[in-house]
Amino acid sequence: MKEFEIFVGPQHVGATGNMMYHVWVDGDTVVKAETHVGYLHRAFEKLMERRSWLMNVALIPRICVPEPDVNEASYAMAVESLMNWDIPERAKYIRSIVLELARLSGHLLAISGYAGAIGLYTVPQWLIGDRDYLLDLFEQLTGGRVYHIFIFPGGVRWDLPDGFLRKLGKVLDYLESRLKLYDDLLFQNKVFFERAPDVGVIPKDKAIEWGVTGPNLRACGYAYDVRRVDPYAAYPDLDFEIPHYPKFGEFEVLGHGCDCYSRMVVRRLEIEQSIRILRQIIKKIPDGPHTLKLPNPIAWKVPAGYAYARVESSKGEFGYLVISDGGKVPYRVHVRGPSYTHGINVMEKIAPGLNIADFAPTAFSLDVCPPDIER
Amino acid sequence: MKAIEIFKELGIEYEEMKVKGNSTPRYRAKVEPDKLEEIIKKFKTQGFKHFVALSCVDWIKEGNMELIYHLFSYDTLEDVFLSIYLPRDEPKYKTLRHLFPQIETYEREVHEMFGVEFEGNDRLGEFILEDWNDMPPMRKDFDTVKYVKEKYESVPLVEGRGDKQ
Amino acid sequence: MTDNPNPLPSIIPEKDWKKIQRMLSKRSLWMIHFCTGCGAMEMPPTMTSRYDMERFGIIPMATPRQADLLLVTGYVAVKTLKRIVRVYEQMQDPKYVISFGSCPINGGLYWDSYNTIKRLDKYIPVDLYIAGCMPRPEAIMDAFLKLMKDIDEGRADGWLRYRKYYDKYRANQMRVFKRWDE
Repeated sequence: MKEFEIFVGPQHVGATGNMMYHVWVDGDTVVKAETHVGYLHRAFEKLMERRSWLMNVALIPRICVPEPDVNEASYAMAVESLMNWDIPERAKYIRSIVLELARLSGHLLAISGYAGAIGLYTVPQWLIGDRDYLLDLFEQLTGGRVYHIFIFPGGVRWDLPDGFLRKLGKVLDYLESRLKLYDDLLFQNKVFFERAPDVGVIPKDKAIEWGVTGPNLRACGYAYDVRRVDPYAAYPDLDFEIPHYPKFGEFEVLGHGCDCYSRMVVRRLEIEQSIRILRQIIKKIPDGPHTLKLPNPIAWKVPAGYAYARVESSKGEFGYLVISDGGKVPYRVHVRGPSYTHGINVMEKIAPGLNIADFAPTAFSLDVCPPDIER
Repeated sequence: MKAIEIFKELGIEYEEMKVKGNSTPRYRAKVEPDKLEEIIKKFKTQGFKHFVALSCVDWIKEGNMELIYHLFSYDTLEDVFLSIYLPRDEPKYKTLRHLFPQIETYEREVHEMFGVEFEGNDRLGEFILEDWNDMPPMRKDFDTVKYVKEKYESVPLVEGRGDKQ
Repeated sequence: MTDNPNPLPSIIPEKDWKKIQRMLSKRSLWMIHFCTGCGAMEMPPTMTSRYDMERFGIIPMATPRQADLLLVTGYVAVKTLKRIVRVYEQMQDPKYVISFGSCPINGGLYWDSYNTIKRLDKYIPVDLYIAGCMPRPEAIMDAFLKLMKDIDEGRADGWLRYRKYYDKYRANQMRVFKRWDE
């Protein structure tokens, strides 16, 4: 049969944002796929070399839009490494609150995107509606719904507002009560059972070598999480499990791992763990200052050197390599986004053999976020 | 095997980077470009199986391009940054995509943004930019404000409702 | 206002026919599903249960041929501008453009970035701007209502301007593209 070409994106409901997959198909089977990115290139790394250390904090949340806080956290940690700052305990806990809320909202978006791709349109209606409660929390805490610019080198911008923790507890209770409904709607749904297992399989022995991180790596059976292997913020003090294939608890283990099914179930279980972490933080959060006493923001003298900081985002390992030459601006910042490997390398490798109809769900199950590929 | 032992075995000098926030140690070493492939292979067999990133730094005063190969080990929980320096006028290196497949993508980006040639990588070429007509933009001597003024601000307004200002 | 001729000139007066057309087109704005930038992040909440833009007759549509409304959500990179122009030209008249966020107004945060165009209305006509980074769903809904009012009063005439000044718009577009045929 003759091969023909399909363009999935940039204007396409099956593309995870503004990116394009150039797909060659034979009949209904994908033969080859190529990822084209660059539609969202804003030259962050160049702009950061032109802005002062503190101005960059306002710029970087735009790198990963569904989950902007990981950028601020890892940039702040890298700058703190260069400055040799130890931030107060309370700031660490507040950072963990923000990062976990961001993870929850990232996972809710990822799950609703996947459900939309397999045709279950009720799921996005419910999950994104519930995500707005998290955004309301963010609004109360930081003043912004999407971009928060809350974590910065030295701590966080301000302390928790009155009654925030009580409201957080209420939202967590609500979210937990909704999880059962999500299960009925998607995770115990026949459509999901039929379409997800053994689709879009990453070979288990290659997963680490290919640079797969985050929930996608845990779906391959490795219990690796940056919160555990390279702990930061308040995570060393907190107790949580790392859901990974085949430890799915109450969920059936269908398929052989590394597939769309495991990736989505891992995300679903991580929501539970995030709720658990947040509840511990509400109980444990210490009193004290929320930030260090900062020097004059215009003239930060950051000692020359190299620093790398990484955090676990809902998509995988997010890291900042910050290089200073002692000047008022960073000399070079390199952003390591998790989608860089997932969207280009992994997707190109696992696409051959997929059905056309399974292509978009596979892309959504990897949770590719194009702005952190091209920055 | 710990990174320090590997460095000692290979006779490479290393320095420890400062870490706050995260907790695993990070080591940085400068290596010779022609020995890099062997060194990465050695690290890979000793557990450093996660290739984190390939970054490029343009040291314009020194006249160098620094390529940083960043590896991580899930066994010993250590980061290793291996730097090589290339001449800035004609930066040229060989591709290492056979070691870790995602190096290919990083090489494409570094080629486009810094103008570093990677021999043996056949996918270099347009990757992120389109219709680009200037020097590689991430180089330090590329003036982005001047470029913006010339390219975008000189475009005239079209008549109609938009120009009532 | 439009090229659609009056089917029953003897029964419907010409003035009323235009009114009917405007009323119909403002009540069924179909929005093309094209996430051009980070503003697309606030579209899911606007589309789904909490804000629910479907009550205004606005639904996302997958193909440009069936869409009336193009939302340029955020900064526009050069590579995306080419696709936006393509999508815009594929849409059928009458068509409306809402530019979303601070970046398509004057460059916003990326005023010195080499890869984003600064003013969108130099390249395609824009009917309405929503300012802010990023605009809240309430602002988006407000913009939709304003656009409906503009359509009703015949002020949303970007597509007519694009026809009239096509050569100038195309000349501006070609100043940032090297080639068009890709």
